[in-house]
Amino acid sequence: LTAPTRVEHFFRHEYGKLVATLARRVGMQHLADVEDAVQSALMTALETWTVAGQPDNPSAWLFRVAWNNLMGELRRRAGHRRILEKTLGQDLVTRENVAERFLEGEVRDDLLRMLFVCCDDAIPVESQLMLALKTLCGFEVREIALRLFTSEENVYKRLGRARTRLRKTKAAIRPGDLTADQYASRISAVHRILYLLFTEGYLSTQAETTIRRELCEEGLRLATILVEHPAGQTPETAALLALMHLHMARMTARQDRSGGLLLLEEQDRRLWDRVRIQEGMEWLVKASRGDQFSRYHAEAGIAAEHCLAASFQATRWEKIVECYALLERIAPSAIHRLNRAVAMAEWRGPREGLAVLKGFEPPSWLEGSYLWAAVLADLHRRLRNDAAAKRYRESALEFAPSPAVKELLRRRLEARAKADV
Amino acid sequence: MPKQKYLCIQRSQPGGKRDKPSPAQMEKMYATFNAWKEKFQKNIVDLGGRLGDGGVVTSESVTDGPFIETKEIVGGFMIVEAASLKEAMTIARECPGVVMPGSSVEVREIHTG
Repeated sequence: LTAPTRVEHFFRHEYGKLVATLARRVGMQHLADVEDAVQSALMTALETWTVAGQPDNPSAWLFRVAWNNLMGELRRRAGHRRILEKTLGQDLVTRENVAERFLEGEVRDDLLRMLFVCCDDAIPVESQLMLALKTLCGFEVREIALRLFTSEENVYKRLGRARTRLRKTKAAIRPGDLTADQYASRISAVHRILYLLFTEGYLSTQAETTIRRELCEEGLRLATILVEHPAGQTPETAALLALMHLHMARMTARQDRSGGLLLLEEQDRRLWDRVRIQEGMEWLVKASRGDQFSRYHAEAGIAAEHCLAASFQATRWEKIVECYALLERIAPSAIHRLNRAVAMAEWRGPREGLAVLKGFEPPSWLEGSYLWAAVLADLHRRLRNDAAAKRYRESALEFAPSPAVKELLRRRLEARAKADV
Repeated sequence: MPKQKYLCIQRSQPGGKRDKPSPAQMEKMYATFNAWKEKFQKNIVDLGGRLGDGGVVTSESVTDGPFIETKEIVGGFMIVEAASLKEAMTIARECPGVVMPGSSVEVREIHTG
């Protein structure tokens, strides 16, 4: 087999690189044309390479074709106006000068820059995520819709509005545009997008494994690019990378052979990826340099406790309770409180676990989710509060988003019942 | 059994507009094609190519395309070597991108000598 077939996602990743690098050259106002030019260059590659074989430098080949497509389109649009020629000031890219124009380091900067451009706070977070999936990861509208559980129409509309916004952004129009201040002020938004990208894959209970893994890998890929750049070298980025590696390490063990979900205590810890855990721990060490403590630090800390525990019983639940308490303080969310209750129940018993939730009014989104009901069903079951346990168990099963989750809940809640008898 | 050469002619319906494949689909197609090429590398004589615009020369006249009278467009060709027509047809059928909805491949033996 030829080289790029062995490189996973070569076409998709080349798409991201080319869009980022061409958009930087001609300006963000031409984003839609850039995307078309790249798409059509990939199509030409597919047609040409299959017959004539693959060129020595496929990336440079693609860049040349995409660039020429783009120039052709922009010229055609501008008609005979000379202005465009002057503005762009570059002619057709020939075989000779292409290599020096398409430098790996430069492309990496372009990718990173595009990531910061996507994280414009005038664009809603959901649209930022879609924009990143489209421009940086090379996913098409229908593929994005499938991954984010929304309609193609919604993705299409949101991308359209986001592009319009980028067209109007003065800062994003010409090369060298984002200022150091803008890089600094957008970094939290960049972290949030990468975190979302990752958790969409990791936490989703609906999509199939390969799709979920793909999203996680994209999050990890972009976070790795971020940390290699001076603008992204912060303890928070390191914590985010730690979190990603520590979760990825356990991903394969979360499912049984038939694809059913497994509880943490049922997982075969020998299947956890030790190399990844090691890598995650190294990032956690780097993340602790400095005085920042972000939500990613707290979450990575929790993941690390799980990864390092020899067994479910040997887990240091007191540390996990502590991390959830910190997380609640940094990023207040009812879900963190619920998780603290679960960890507390493992540490001190179900009564203490339930005490964490005492007097707590869950927001409606949580009250109507299977998680809330499942945790309460479990705690009440263990306390032999049969009526309450039954009520919550029924709600949990009713709210379960997928058959796999329903199966998991049934096993958990019924296994507990047997154990207590 | 001596090997015989076969010309494979790909035809498709005109105007059959399909959705553009996404980069993810393209990388899958490319991988599938390369796997096919690998599998039949001994049989592939010439991968041929796609055919562009052309003209027709007859005893009466010379005309430029397009050839309005044809219901199908010849899209591309390749030459394979096989022991039988049946084998050649198997190779053509397994070739990804060649047999798609609305398209077909004609496989003809090339008589030499």
